[in-house]
Amino acid sequence: MSSFSRSAQQWATFARSWFLIDARLQPPGKIATMCSVRLQGKHKPIYHALSDCGDHVVVINSKHIAFSGNKWEQKVYSSHTGYPGSFKQVTAAQLHQKDPKAIVKLAVNGMLPKNLHRRTMMQRLHIFPEDELPDDIRANLTEELPQPREIPKKLSEYTQEEIDAFPRLWTPPEDFKME
Amino acid sequence: MVFLTLSRWIRSRGPDRYWKVQELLKHARHFRGRKNRCYSLAVRAVRRAFVYATKGRKLKKRNMRTLWITRIAAASREHGMKYPVLMSNLTKNICESSEPRSFLALAKLARARQQEGFCAALGDGKEPPGVFSRVVLQQ
Repeated sequence: MSSFSRSAQQWATFARSWFLIDARLQPPGKIATMCSVRLQGKHKPIYHALSDCGDHVVVINSKHIAFSGNKWEQKVYSSHTGYPGSFKQVTAAQLHQKDPKAIVKLAVNGMLPKNLHRRTMMQRLHIFPEDELPDDIRANLTEELPQPREIPKKLSEYTQEEIDAFPRLWTPPEDFKME
Repeated sequence: MVFLTLSRWIRSRGPDRYWKVQELLKHARHFRGRKNRCYSLAVRAVRRAFVYATKGRKLKKRNMRTLWITRIAAASREHGMKYPVLMSNLTKNICESSEPRSFLALAKLARARQQEGFCAALGDGKEPPGVFSRVVLQQ
């Protein structure tokens, strides 16, 4: 910096950074925790609830999130518009079929504080179902966050040598018939 | 009221009740709506406000502490350490007096910082003439 001044420091401190999170095969709740911390600005030592110091978060691959257990069938999203007969219940699978962004969005929305800032913070959350980003958003990105869950490797992704080298508990005899 | 002299009597304008009302409305002038001018509404609002102020003095300490914890947690996360880990290790190392020398060093450092703060607040390091305070004692 050619001229050192406090105002430049101030600008740098309150500048908004853009985080990228890849949600492929990640649990939506863990993605949402990471998002809500960044959106509120709670990862900064200058945090104050009124100082509006949250960052932007871009979530990609929201179509490929992974629920554990049988949540796709058993987790129920309920809504009521207030009119009689408008109580609707859909399972996570149905909701995801209809809108692949909805599950991550609802999870983050529920983790943010319930006040007037919530809508502003949600506007700084950008969710994309696939990994294609518009150029204006791609140009802003500053940092990619590590995924909370390590993606397990499929059996088809292992090479034959790796499968052969894997230690075996029991070797089947030649005439063994697999049922 | 007792008017001792004529001049005093001239200076005291208005009845006693007027001044009592003004004394109360003084605290309500920044309120919203008719509460800031009508006595019967203001008296309730002011009493409530004073109750809030009393409670707020305790809440302020609590809220400040949570804010500090949030900030320290954020700062320690930047260096890859979690808040509870940091705090438990700090208390173990410093407050358990397992290392009295480093505790002494920290105490001395804190004391020096306090002194520096006093000097900075004074400007040129001196009180105005004729003022006696604890800063004068330290010089």
